[in-house]
Amino acid sequence: MENAPRPASREELNRFLTEHEGVDPRRLVPLPFPYEDWEDAPIPELSEDKRSRIEVGPDGVAAAQIKVPADDEERDRRVAAFLEGLAKLFTKENNWTFLQPLMLSMENCVKCQTCAEACPIYTGSGRMEAYRPTFRAEVLRKIVNRYLKPGGRILPGLRGNDVELSWDVLVSLAELSYRCTLCRRCAQTCPVGVDNALITREIRKLFSQELGIAMPELHETGTIKQLTVGSSTGLNPAGLADIMEFAEEDIQEKTGLDITMPFDVEGAEYLVMHNAGEFLSWPENLQAFAIILELAGVSWTLSSELVGYDSVNYGLFYDDVQYSRIALKHYEVARKLGVRKMMVGECGHAHKALMPIADRLIPEQLRVRTESCLVVLEDIVVNEKILLDPSRNDFPVTLHDPCNITRSMGIVEPQRKILRKIAPRFREMEPHGVHNYCCGGGSGFAICQSMNFPDWRTRVSGRLKFRQILEAFSDCIEPETPKYVCAPCSNCKGQMRDLLNYYEAWDRCGILYGGLVELIVNAMVDVREGFVEWEMH
Amino acid sequence: MTSTLVLPWVALVLVVFVAGSIWRAWRYARAPMHLRWDLYPVAHEPAPRRDHGGSYLEEREWWTRPRERSLLGEAVFMAEEILFLKGVRANNRRLWWGSFPFHWGLYLLVLTTVGIFLGVAGWRLPLDSGLLSLGALTGGGLVLAGSVILLVLRSTDPKLRPYTAPVDRLNLLFLALFGALCVGVAVRYGLGHVVTVLSGVLRGHEVRVGRLLAAQMAVGGLFLMYMPFTRMVHFFAKYFTYHDVRWDDTPMEPGSPLADRLAAALNYGVDWSAGHVRTGKTWAEVATTLPDEEKGGKA
Repeated sequence: MENAPRPASREELNRFLTEHEGVDPRRLVPLPFPYEDWEDAPIPELSEDKRSRIEVGPDGVAAAQIKVPADDEERDRRVAAFLEGLAKLFTKENNWTFLQPLMLSMENCVKCQTCAEACPIYTGSGRMEAYRPTFRAEVLRKIVNRYLKPGGRILPGLRGNDVELSWDVLVSLAELSYRCTLCRRCAQTCPVGVDNALITREIRKLFSQELGIAMPELHETGTIKQLTVGSSTGLNPAGLADIMEFAEEDIQEKTGLDITMPFDVEGAEYLVMHNAGEFLSWPENLQAFAIILELAGVSWTLSSELVGYDSVNYGLFYDDVQYSRIALKHYEVARKLGVRKMMVGECGHAHKALMPIADRLIPEQLRVRTESCLVVLEDIVVNEKILLDPSRNDFPVTLHDPCNITRSMGIVEPQRKILRKIAPRFREMEPHGVHNYCCGGGSGFAICQSMNFPDWRTRVSGRLKFRQILEAFSDCIEPETPKYVCAPCSNCKGQMRDLLNYYEAWDRCGILYGGLVELIVNAMVDVREGFVEWEMH
Repeated sequence: MTSTLVLPWVALVLVVFVAGSIWRAWRYARAPMHLRWDLYPVAHEPAPRRDHGGSYLEEREWWTRPRERSLLGEAVFMAEEILFLKGVRANNRRLWWGSFPFHWGLYLLVLTTVGIFLGVAGWRLPLDSGLLSLGALTGGGLVLAGSVILLVLRSTDPKLRPYTAPVDRLNLLFLALFGALCVGVAVRYGLGHVVTVLSGVLRGHEVRVGRLLAAQMAVGGLFLMYMPFTRMVHFFAKYFTYHDVRWDDTPMEPGSPLADRLAAALNYGVDWSAGHVRTGKTWAEVATTLPDEEKGGKA
């Protein structure tokens, strides 16, 4: 495979920032059997009409959907606003949340490029320069050094501060901040401890908190909707009640069990926090949780309060203010219910948002202890609090590790102990655990369904994950053998759905995806056989 | 060069280097508490959890369990990084061939400098001047070789070249020159002579300082004074990136210093300008109230 063109010099590197170069499908990382002859169509260009209204990144892709400014005056105003925001990013008042990590990463990168090969987007794309982990960080660094630091404009060429700020540069920077899934694989390899994913998130944050520019699926129809309606899915409490009623009927029909979804049970041991996306797209996940917890005799409840029934917190991906509002709301709900603990369901970013990140945000009066569902499920399965028949799961299973749960939280073994107990044909992907590849839908990408971003996401950011899945099942790749990719994370499942559909993986290889609890219930003796339904959804 | 300049020069270099390094480290150390940003594996997790990159969050009711931290785990990780540049070796072998000798050269020169100061202080050194000379010769040689390799790589490697500014090349040239001068001093005078010169200067004697030694001291001094203001401070910045960010997994406990720092941070004023933020309030106010936009009105 031929790599994408590389800049020969610093001057040429800067041209990569504003000159458009689309993804060349011929340079995407090759896939193994039966995809040797698979041909990807180019990522479609936006129509002239859209291009007249929406800015695109240097790769021709639009994620942030930045409106084209009306005139030069507006452009200049936005550039000035960016510089004001940039200065705020380095003040403790405005950015105490990440000031120290940001300073450390901005000031100590030695530009050794050790991180580049760790990035699934950079390598998956055929090493497109604009996707290199250091590329966008270096642009920001040059702008900071030139425009914020005293004497920054003295000998800028000699010192490498050679990016001249313009609206086009800002558009590229904003768009490129949405070409990194914040998986932090690059940071693991940095010998100095620099974190380019953190810098990327800070770029998103600066655009959001100062200029109001963010991926609409994260902001308008994400955090704003969640805080207003109760869920980023648009699900309100009345709709929730309908879904739960349906879930109870569905459980009865599928399993023969009579289970009532517990709501607002004061003093329960656990408030279970689900990603509301599960309710609409994968109701079997919600149902499986209910079956396991009920049969294991766990005291649990769901909340019907606004925001309390949706563990999603997209603020984690782009905006500290929105993140804080939602995190506080989650803890307020739990505290008000008087539950002993919160349990985070199968959602990677909710794990990180509700556990380590919230740990340094929630004041004492709102604190509730929080556990991962994986740890609770491990206890239930490994200590045989439910009856299991692993032979019901006698098909190949592999595990996708959500980055937020493994790399950012160190929860690696509980899910494996469960799978070793219930899935006799479990096999690992390589690499896995804390060294896994992102699904390609991380940091909000999986929910972005507009413009040409989904085309980019399936072809580029999810490419290495799909290759890993094929390699994990290489010994049984024929479509006659049904295979299961276990992805215990809602966003990852969203990406899996799109990836497997794009690559026609069910028809060509018999590969299906789903969560962990569905597999557990599929093996439960007290449940009618066949909980996992072998059809693409 | 007359010896009368030596003492003020060494003093100036030490003051600037130490003050600059303290200033830089102080900026990092006094930064406000930040939200957690752990990255696994974390070296102080006890084995076997550390081996798979696990954390205490893998435990049921983790807050009820005693927190175990393996200082040995951290020490082994740091030793492998410092002595072998393990991360670079594993992930960027080509660069490691330049970086490894370069860093070892610097370590040897630091050790040799310590030996010189001990000698000047009148210690009967376990290492005689011959060994000190060997340290300067080997250290200088490795710095020279490493700098040249890195310079070549940064000028020719298509991955590195576009990210290398002229100042980066100048830094490497400067270090190569310093390495060469260290070799020159070791060969021309021997390090016993350096100890004698510095001892004489300290006792107020007029001592002749050869040109090569004077040049070495000038270049080395300039480098040391310049270093704290560059990214070359990663030798201590790395402490913060690891201990204060990647490995900072300390959970908040009621009444802890962290809780006090959080309370202070929540009172900081916010003046981000986007409509949804509500500028002019404290963090606590902003986080607990919704802007008009989210109440259905206009931001």
